[in-house]
Amino acid sequence: MSRNLVELVRRHHAQAAPSALDVLKDAVEQRGEVTDEDRREAARRSGLPEAAVFGVSTFYDDLLTPRGARHVRVCTGTACFAATGDAHVEQLRTATGLELGERAGDGSVSLAETVCLGFCHSAPAVRVTSDEADVVDAGPDVVARVLADTCVAAEEPAWESTLPEPVLTRPGDWSGLRRVREEGISPEALLEAVTAAEIRGRGGAGFPAGVKWGFARAAAGEQKFIVANGDEGDPGSYIDKYLMERNPALLLEGMALAGYAVGAAHGFVLVRSEYPRSKPALEAAAEAARADGWLGERFDVTIVEGAGSYVVGEETALLACLEGLRGTVSARPPFPAQEGLYGRPTVVNNVETLCNVPFVAARGAEPYHALSPDSETAGSKLVCFNERFVRPGVYEVPFGVSMGRLCEELAGGLRDGRAIKGVQVGGPLGGILPAARLETAFDFDALAAEGCMLGHGGILAFDDATSMRDVARHLLRFGAHESCGKCFPCRIGLRRAHAMFAGEEPVSRERLEQLLETLELGSLCAHGGGMPAPIRSLLRWWPDELGLAA
Amino acid sequence: MTAPSLTVAVDGTTVEVPAGATVLDAARAAGRWVPTLCFDARQAPFGACRACLVGVEGAAAPLPACTTPCRDGMVVDTKDPAGRRVATAVVELVLSELPQPPAPHTELAQVAQRLGVGEPRWPGETHAPQPADTRHPYLAFQHELCISCGRCVRACDELQGTFALTATGRGFHANVAAGLDEGFRASACVSCGACADTCPTDAITEVSLLP
Amino acid sequence: MTTTTCGYCGVGCRLETDVRDGLIASIAPALDGPANLGHTCLKGRFAHRFARHRERLATPLIRDERGGPLRAASWEEAIERIVAELGRIRSAHGPDAIAGLASSRATNEDCYAMQRLMRAAIGTNNIDNCSRVCHSPTSFALRKALGLSGATGSFEDFDHADATILLGANPTEGHPVVGARIKQATLRGMQLVTIDPRRIELADYGVLHLSPRPGSNAAVMLGIAHVLERDGFVDHDFVAARTDGFEALAELLPAYAPEAVEAITGVPAADLEAAAHIYGEAANACISWGLGVTEHKYGSEVVQLICDAALMTGKIGRPGSALLPLRGQNNVQGSSDMGALPDTYTAYRSVTDEDVARSFEDAWGVPLSRRKGWTIPQMFDAAVAGDLRAMYIFGEDVAQTDPNTAHVVHALESLELLVCQDIFETETTRYADVILPASSFLEKSGTFTNAERRVQLVAPAIEPPGEARTDFEIIKAVSAAIGHELPWATPADAMDEIAALTPDWAGISHARLGRRGLQWPVAPDGTDAPILYEREFSRPGGRAHFAALPYKAPGDAADEEFPLILVTGRRLQHYNAGTMTRRTGNVELVDADVLEIHPDDAQRLWISEGDTISVRSRVGRIELPAHVTDRIERGHVFTTFHFPETRTNLLVGASADVNTSCPEYKVVAVDVRPIGEEPARVPALA
Repeated sequence: MSRNLVELVRRHHAQAAPSALDVLKDAVEQRGEVTDEDRREAARRSGLPEAAVFGVSTFYDDLLTPRGARHVRVCTGTACFAATGDAHVEQLRTATGLELGERAGDGSVSLAETVCLGFCHSAPAVRVTSDEADVVDAGPDVVARVLADTCVAAEEPAWESTLPEPVLTRPGDWSGLRRVREEGISPEALLEAVTAAEIRGRGGAGFPAGVKWGFARAAAGEQKFIVANGDEGDPGSYIDKYLMERNPALLLEGMALAGYAVGAAHGFVLVRSEYPRSKPALEAAAEAARADGWLGERFDVTIVEGAGSYVVGEETALLACLEGLRGTVSARPPFPAQEGLYGRPTVVNNVETLCNVPFVAARGAEPYHALSPDSETAGSKLVCFNERFVRPGVYEVPFGVSMGRLCEELAGGLRDGRAIKGVQVGGPLGGILPAARLETAFDFDALAAEGCMLGHGGILAFDDATSMRDVARHLLRFGAHESCGKCFPCRIGLRRAHAMFAGEEPVSRERLEQLLETLELGSLCAHGGGMPAPIRSLLRWWPDELGLAA
Repeated sequence: MTAPSLTVAVDGTTVEVPAGATVLDAARAAGRWVPTLCFDARQAPFGACRACLVGVEGAAAPLPACTTPCRDGMVVDTKDPAGRRVATAVVELVLSELPQPPAPHTELAQVAQRLGVGEPRWPGETHAPQPADTRHPYLAFQHELCISCGRCVRACDELQGTFALTATGRGFHANVAAGLDEGFRASACVSCGACADTCPTDAITEVSLLP
Repeated sequence: MTTTTCGYCGVGCRLETDVRDGLIASIAPALDGPANLGHTCLKGRFAHRFARHRERLATPLIRDERGGPLRAASWEEAIERIVAELGRIRSAHGPDAIAGLASSRATNEDCYAMQRLMRAAIGTNNIDNCSRVCHSPTSFALRKALGLSGATGSFEDFDHADATILLGANPTEGHPVVGARIKQATLRGMQLVTIDPRRIELADYGVLHLSPRPGSNAAVMLGIAHVLERDGFVDHDFVAARTDGFEALAELLPAYAPEAVEAITGVPAADLEAAAHIYGEAANACISWGLGVTEHKYGSEVVQLICDAALMTGKIGRPGSALLPLRGQNNVQGSSDMGALPDTYTAYRSVTDEDVARSFEDAWGVPLSRRKGWTIPQMFDAAVAGDLRAMYIFGEDVAQTDPNTAHVVHALESLELLVCQDIFETETTRYADVILPASSFLEKSGTFTNAERRVQLVAPAIEPPGEARTDFEIIKAVSAAIGHELPWATPADAMDEIAALTPDWAGISHARLGRRGLQWPVAPDGTDAPILYEREFSRPGGRAHFAALPYKAPGDAADEEFPLILVTGRRLQHYNAGTMTRRTGNVELVDADVLEIHPDDAQRLWISEGDTISVRSRVGRIELPAHVTDRIERGHVFTTFHFPETRTNLLVGASADVNTSCPEYKVVAVDVRPIGEEPARVPALA
């Protein structure tokens, strides 16, 4: 993190200047590409030096591909891969004659890859943008519709709660904030309740939210922020999408409560640009909340859209993206709770985490613990399933239930009589459970003991037709492509790891283990640090499929 | 009123360091070598190269010395085996991305030599050679030699305050550029040379002023 | 690898020189340089090839007749010629018909030697240096108000200040390493107020920018003092315990309410109040200034008013609260410290002070004149009048850098003998009878004193080329030939004599200076003084003195015939006359002086970007390209003086500081128009 650039941007933000990223995104949306004149304009208006603006313009996916009259973005995420083996990508490339990231000479069409659109329940998904429309279509025949220009908006996933009383799937009604106001609950008391409730972060790290809030509350400075991490980049995960688009009021209430407890007067939601419906939904909910007096003077929000980068889900990179800078990861300390957005103390919480807060505010810590009677982990969790399952969708479940129950009973097992070969839990950095280990409980420690993680709660099945070497290649390609480029193990190591699986050559286990150790111990963040986990699962359970050298 | 100081043991040598010092500061105070590539004492620590991993008693895994603050009573082992394995592997990876071995006078070559890293065993893609950018009378860019350590960008930011340089791209193709990738001369560069001074490879060099 | 101190500006970067086969291969900043902390600028780092440029003077040159060509000569012949002529002139017209100019680029030891030559070998106090044309008002005012002629703190004080007022300086161009340091401090939260007719780069990082009319700085400072007093920022305990004269100032202040100041300066009243509050409310604050304050008719008064602000609020004598004049040249502080001045010996002790004069007489073994000598402007007047007949100038190009070029040239042409000691032929050497080839900072040993009063070692990296010699050796040889031996084998020996004769320098020796130098005053045990006036001021009674000086109009003003005001200054890539930098790769970056003009003025005058335009003042006319920019205010124009072909100083007239004769480079009324419109009234010099 450059303290100087953050300070320059802060000063301009305080004068209501746009971020450099906003200006560049506008240019792409209006004129299809970013020119040097756009960069100079972005520098002038945002206060960011020209060189830094150039750097930003080369980082984010949304800015990289020049757009044709029809801009086709094909999802190359793991759920879409699991559905078609990436055949849909091949078909589009062949049919258009374009490489990914290319625009046709006559400007009529452009092709780009995107990860992920959040339609994992009906993969594969493709997004087509033109002046007239911006449509995300999905399903087995999506390519044909894209080529025929007959795309229709894909259906949103189903949702269901298995709890006696739905919590996260119940529409937010501001009852938590109402109780706090009516009963005069102090910020300290609210913070105590949240801490006692042991709300663990739902974004993957599982860090206790109350502890994080406590750090921010205690930090020096009058200006503080709440930031909701809506950059749900994990392929296979569409939980935050559901919350932001179908239950935005619940998120806003959680943020307002966080602001109250921490002493922050403003919040930001970083919404990924791959979810075009999320920002409008949140802004409509915010308008309504203002009209009803839940947002306003004491706490208000700004909804910001990202620009296409997976790593921006990491909290320091996310703050950089909000500031309009390159979304690279910063070393910690300093932690955002001390020095975060614009250098001010900031709480960064995942969307789902914040959605847990209104229940605790309304009912208290005890009932929250009681939601998962078979687990030490408190509260409930949303999980989602990919298209391979019979009943994919968003489900609210308690912690502690077995993976097998989730996969077979809730989601109905795999379609077309296929068998589960392996299940990747928690996102592309999560371990993979073989069918034989599905009795593992869906919980933090139980999954960790199997080399897996709860992560964000995405449950992604590979069926028996999938080659695990292809899975390795796919995951490592994703990892290398999304590397922010700052730390050496990830920037170079993931590239080398992908290359090991990309061709037909046998893979040296010794060299692979060395890379995995380097990544695990050396990476600056959980992107490089987490990539070894699924590879280790593959090595453990499917070594014969990986093409290892004898 | 003097600032509080901390007592830290590094490889058996005890040193006093001011509060806020990093483990790397303590190691340097104790005269112990820790390999670094992205560190420059004139800049805030960056934490990119990960070559500075050292063992800290009580920590489950080796920690990056340059960004880890000291605690009173900390016990540090600069030769922690896992830390050194990672450092050596990192340097080998870095050598593998360059189209040719680094010149012997460069910091990278010296760190590699000291760690005993020979020719990298990674076949595969390297940075594509480009013609050198010598549009400026004093400063030359050789982009394929850049290892994205960030020191030049940070020198121009934290030392000179001109902000003429930036990191570019992402992942393996990350690199560095001046201005709108227009070369030093057309950018805001004030030719102070801090970037050439800190570059550990020869990606940015001084044009030789010997006749 | 030799560590030395940069010879360009008053920051005094410590540099490591890498030499191969007798040539400089590269220069890098010293990581432990106390003033530069591992940083430097393009001049210190890259602009060193001038040292071996083909135009370097490598042999003595003699001009047998005025207006004739130069021919190579031996050292013996050249020195003989000088000594014979000086002897003749002295016999016929007395020692005061001879004057010397010491170079502010040269070392302390060189300047000390020069003033000893003039005083002891020749017998006159006619010795001056180029601080005359830059910070002499600062020297005068600081001595008058506080006692010592130097910054009251160090560059480090910018790091500890909560606020800083920066007047009439553009450090990101003129003192780049200090400019960078100030910029970093502002990004960490230091509240910077910039006061300059141009919107300098640091104005974009500060919290407030004031753009007063050129020549109105005194009104600005009086206005700030008014607000400080009115709004309760006066530290009465400090004023009572450590100063005198506040009452007189207090009586003056009611006339300088913000509205009245706005009428004089054009600075909005609310902005003036804000500036005063930022300074007054800061726990620690610095005031820093440059030639935009001093190069004015009342520059020395403005500096006294700056001292008033610090004294009123007690923001002096502790870390983060300092008065920091940005001395321009690498050794302009030192050349004056060394007494290369017509009215003082070392450490600004008067030539009329019996005790001091006697101590030098005893040391040098000759009687010394008690009569103050001429300043540089007075020297030129005297030359034209026929009273001054010989000048010995080393390391200064008065024909390019001094004001009123026509007058300077006339003066030089009127002399019977002009000796120039320099590293290149210059505009001034055109008129020289004898030219002695001298050494650059990369070729000599000695010390420079930077703007923090820090005396730092200079060590030679390479030899002077051809038959050129070090200035120290040359001055010794000339002095010996005149008949007064300078008894020093090396510059270190000269420093020992300086220390012995100068209480403030008592603890200084080359051996002690090491890698970090020492900030004078240095006690005999070697303790130096990063902060001055912690307990008392260096004036009688230990008290500082308030000046009660009303605003007075500058020496020039815009009128119908000359409706714009020209301000002259420097750019990053070149240094002053450009003697050194124009002979390096820096010309590839900037190769001409341009005139900066506001878009509204440009439009009104039918001037477009890049047009060659005519600029005419009351005394001269030049032509140069225009650069249209809104960083300058309407009604002002700005240019530099780095390129001799521009002859910028033709435009600058005789107006000068009332106390020190520092020329008013910063307020020159001019007429600007595209070429071809009107023939020149005063022909430009061929």
